[in-house]
Amino acid sequence: MATRIGVDVGGTFTDLVWYDEATGSVVVSKEPTSPAAPEVGVLAAIDAAIPPAGLAAARYFLHGTTVGLNALLQRTGAVVGLLATDGFRDVLEVRRGDRDDPYDLFWSPPPPLVPRALRLPVRERMLADGAIWIPIVGSDVEDAARRFTEEGVNAVAIAFLHAYANPAHELEAERILRAGGFTGAISLSHRVSGEYREYERTTTTVVDAFVRRRMGPYLERLASTLATRGFLGDPLITRSGGGSMTFAQAAARPFETVLSGPVAGADATAAIARALGLEMAIGADVGGTSFDTCVIVDGEVPVLYQGSVVGLPIQTPWVDVRSIGAGGGSIAFVDGGGLLRVGPRSAGAIPGPACYGKGGSEPTVTDAAVALGMLPPVAIAGGVTLDLERARAALAPLAAPLGLDGADAVARGVLRIAAASMAGAIRGITIEQGLDPRGAALVAFGGAGPLFATLLADELDVTRIVVPPHAGNFSAWGLLGADLRQATSRTRIVRLDEAGVATVGALASELHRELDGRATATFSARRREVHADLRYLGQEHTLTVPVPNDDGVVSVTAAALHALFEECYERTFAIRIDEAVEVVTVRAVVVEPLPTRAAQAPASPVPVAGGASRSVTAWSFTEGRELAFAAVERASIAVGMTLAGPAIIAELTTTTYLDAGYRATCDPSGSLLIERVGS
Amino acid sequence: MITYEPVVFRCGQGGATGLVDADPVTTEIVRQGLNAAADQMKRALVRTAFSPVIYEVLDFAAALYDADVCLLAQAPSLPTFMGTMSFCVRAAVDAVGGTAALDDGDIILYNVPYGTGSHPQDVAMVMPVFVDREIVGYAAIKAHWLDIGGKDPYSTDTVDVFQEGTIFPGVKLYRRGERVDDLFRIAIANSRVPGAVAGDISATVVGVRAGAAALTRIVRRHGIGEFRSCVARIYDHGEATVRSFFAALPDGRYVGHGEMDSNGVDDDRVPFDVAVTVDGSTVRIDYADAPAQQRGPINCPQPSTVSASRVAIAMLAGGGEAPNEGFFRAVEVVTRPGTLFHPLHPAPCFLYGWAGDQAMEAIYQAVSHAMIGAVPACSGGDICALVWWGEREATGEVWTDGSPHPVGQGGHARGDGASALIHISEASTRIAPAEVWEARNPWIIERLELAQDSCGAGRHRGGLGLDVVFRLREDAWLTSALERTRNAPWGLEGGLAARPNGVELDLGDGPGSPFGKATRLLVPRNATLTLRTGGGGGYGDPAQRNVAAVHADVRNGYLSEAAARASYPHAFRDGAS
Repeated sequence: MATRIGVDVGGTFTDLVWYDEATGSVVVSKEPTSPAAPEVGVLAAIDAAIPPAGLAAARYFLHGTTVGLNALLQRTGAVVGLLATDGFRDVLEVRRGDRDDPYDLFWSPPPPLVPRALRLPVRERMLADGAIWIPIVGSDVEDAARRFTEEGVNAVAIAFLHAYANPAHELEAERILRAGGFTGAISLSHRVSGEYREYERTTTTVVDAFVRRRMGPYLERLASTLATRGFLGDPLITRSGGGSMTFAQAAARPFETVLSGPVAGADATAAIARALGLEMAIGADVGGTSFDTCVIVDGEVPVLYQGSVVGLPIQTPWVDVRSIGAGGGSIAFVDGGGLLRVGPRSAGAIPGPACYGKGGSEPTVTDAAVALGMLPPVAIAGGVTLDLERARAALAPLAAPLGLDGADAVARGVLRIAAASMAGAIRGITIEQGLDPRGAALVAFGGAGPLFATLLADELDVTRIVVPPHAGNFSAWGLLGADLRQATSRTRIVRLDEAGVATVGALASELHRELDGRATATFSARRREVHADLRYLGQEHTLTVPVPNDDGVVSVTAAALHALFEECYERTFAIRIDEAVEVVTVRAVVVEPLPTRAAQAPASPVPVAGGASRSVTAWSFTEGRELAFAAVERASIAVGMTLAGPAIIAELTTTTYLDAGYRATCDPSGSLLIERVGS
Repeated sequence: MITYEPVVFRCGQGGATGLVDADPVTTEIVRQGLNAAADQMKRALVRTAFSPVIYEVLDFAAALYDADVCLLAQAPSLPTFMGTMSFCVRAAVDAVGGTAALDDGDIILYNVPYGTGSHPQDVAMVMPVFVDREIVGYAAIKAHWLDIGGKDPYSTDTVDVFQEGTIFPGVKLYRRGERVDDLFRIAIANSRVPGAVAGDISATVVGVRAGAAALTRIVRRHGIGEFRSCVARIYDHGEATVRSFFAALPDGRYVGHGEMDSNGVDDDRVPFDVAVTVDGSTVRIDYADAPAQQRGPINCPQPSTVSASRVAIAMLAGGGEAPNEGFFRAVEVVTRPGTLFHPLHPAPCFLYGWAGDQAMEAIYQAVSHAMIGAVPACSGGDICALVWWGEREATGEVWTDGSPHPVGQGGHARGDGASALIHISEASTRIAPAEVWEARNPWIIERLELAQDSCGAGRHRGGLGLDVVFRLREDAWLTSALERTRNAPWGLEGGLAARPNGVELDLGDGPGSPFGKATRLLVPRNATLTLRTGGGGGYGDPAQRNVAAVHADVRNGYLSEAAARASYPHAFRDGAS
């Protein structure tokens, strides 16, 4: 039972990694994603890699999915009705009054998830301290229930003001709805989030109600199919805030999965950073349409507490991965003012880059790489053969308006601009935390990550790069280490003094009791964490600081916690301020670790003897001219071997472009460690 | 009284030569890098600021300039400020003795209204950026300080600039990286909320330093020569973008009409015209016929008049891109010193921004005459600002808070106007959540809801305004600074006007009559104050509105059935639906 399966459903491909603890063997597969019924692609990936006996023997099935996200993107969820505090039925529509594009006179927000006719007021009112100002008028709920029935509502969100401070009215409204016979799903704001800010909490509650109708049935179908095929282990799914949860927990709290798409990549980056002892690692995941980056310090996945998706704020922990629209499929064009631009529009899987020969005619990043010889014109995954002539033909028309000399010059520009915008995203995420990217190691993965590795290193002055084995499926590998994790939080604003720390302690215990109620008891070992959002008195924005504790029992003085906050503040903003500190929100986390994997990275493919070296002509960015690059099979680089650039290293899931001036060494974990020569 | 001749200000320096040889790839890389650098300044400031007016209202601008004080990049924040920053940088540097008097690590404090364009509360910090002992540019932030020692924390009735706050006429707050404590203490001593101001000063310093570091990195990476030629090409690129918009407008002189409810001291309305002249791809915005400078604080100093024009142009013609110096080369602004849009010392100018906003609306109206569909109908037309303060009963501590409020947006050729967005002049600004507001201030927000029937009718109707009800739990003072309470938001192409803005105070004996401007109004415990923000004007003949859309509006309660029947009788005729 010591095997586990990771399946990551992406926008274009469904990636699988099957890992056997006993033998250390790793099998991967990559199948097209089937958006209408994602489980079809999942099963295809399983069929391609795992024999029935293997499935039956697997201990864990770890799953990353975008089903919840797609429900939001396509607006195909439940018909949700919202009960709101009288006077606040328009919280979803008023939002915060701001515009996504401040330069657009015509800008309109997307229509709210719940139309106004289904947002009904209930007379009731709590205050910020939890006191009841206006008792709930039950008949308002009964009237609303009748209206919901007439309108075909099949899920209800209840979001009353200050419910985080006192949930009594939300609970009473739920009771009245049930007593009246409502059988659909009900989401209560205080269960979804214990934090203040009504627009953000209400939106999150509505998202929960909205995606539940898609998520629950999907997970049921998948679980039962897996069971039918003989799988006896635990099916787990990744959370937006890192780690995993059981399918049952995900069905109960589906909003916790909507930001989980890029989490597995961050988990994988953190795992390899720990394995290689990297103090600071930058994940650089280049896929077909997007570039996802994260910063891992001391092997910890960074978690923030309010994300957003398709313009909607989600008040839940999420792993701080930033995405920009720059990937292999990003389209290059000349803008109205005569500059070359790349993305964010993407050719996607269909029609795909011009060089795929599937009908795409606009030039993409992949076409540029093919034109420059960085991607050899050979067959790749999915039965596509890269066509050099089509790539050149797509790029050539951009040369004249830019005043550049031919398709290759355009191609070089496309890659430099794409790399610069990726580097910009990396700079943003590091510098705003007071970190200097030059001290980090770059972990390059995803289908096109290893193609950009040395370009990014040049752009950022980074000297160390890690290309993990099976880099194209590295996110799925990250899934295999997703410990079970649950988190909750509560806003309570108190001064950070001894009484304040006592409040933090009491709240932490209460929150941990709540988590125990959600626990699965699948695993024996658990680790408890307590965090507090702190700020200087008068500020609004907070920093989240880990609170020293003994199995969830807070064990710190006010002075010590104050000092921890100041340290964290100074590291982030390079300034200390002589001002009192206050607590805004207390957070509790419980982690039930999966058994440790023996391997810290997936084993490399078995070396093939006598990988005869060919050479190809490709553009060298460090030298600024065409050079002969050694064309090398990834499998032919054995542990301990060193390969000097220029070289192009090919494998099934990705291609590594090793520019002149770099050398790669295969370390015992199977990763390629790339360094700048002479540094 | 002296009458001055009009002055012409060219909004952007330089001009396309066609000789710039920077390669388009490196240029795009530099352009992205500069926009990201400005964004880092903004993030650093927002995350460390102490006042909601900065971290929520975003009442600041953060920008990077080159050594010639041309705009390299600015972070999306308060549009009204964005166009004034070049004036701030120039005036600050001149005040301390010019570039020769600058050292690496200096930060200048400057808030003279006729130089910043704003009231004294808006204080600019300007930091020269040195690379290899040469100035390569400036990082600048102008941010609203919560209180700077004017006669009231917020005023609609000042009669000269000395009532409006402490003046810092271009003085070094930091010399070679070291804070000048004497000056810092004077600044703090002149505020009713010294803690918040001290915190925001620190935050602004963090912000300008972040910008300086980012600009230094870009210049070092590319070398000063390549950097300069890329920047020249970036400006040419911006200029081409804007000129292509104006080239498409028919040549001619178009007049937009604006009006202020009052000057804050006298009760008379203050009408004005703005003429927009399009000549090929060049546009001239002429305020020379504006009324004389006013006794009350609605005077708009020349930098803010230029800014209102720059912002209006960037939004109309910028193709959604972040503006740079080149955007403004096609624009000239004509003002006459001694008038509403070019007041002279010591004219009061606390409400400068309100005149600036109405100037923007007048420019849009003028453009609507030039090209059908180029602009939406009028929005609620104001930021609807309320500023509150008081002493907490339990502790005696002074609290203060202020916010703009969303208004309905005008209908337009492509669709209905959006409901409840902050005026375009403060487009990125956010209102605080009621839960945050109630945790912070001694009040209960009883209602914050879209106002039924507040929109203008049309083929595409306007967006709805808001009704907001504050119930005070302790005594507080209020300054209400509302425009367009007398002057309903206009419709376009046959669309109708919408509800105007207004405030009502209810002391428990029923609502008083609506008003717009008031300074230091006592709102006692248990009283309620109701703010009604304007809707957006309609676009096109209401008789052409889609029948199903009318019924959907009634179903959703955006319109009462009575109002719908009155505005759209065609939707209720037999067989109409």
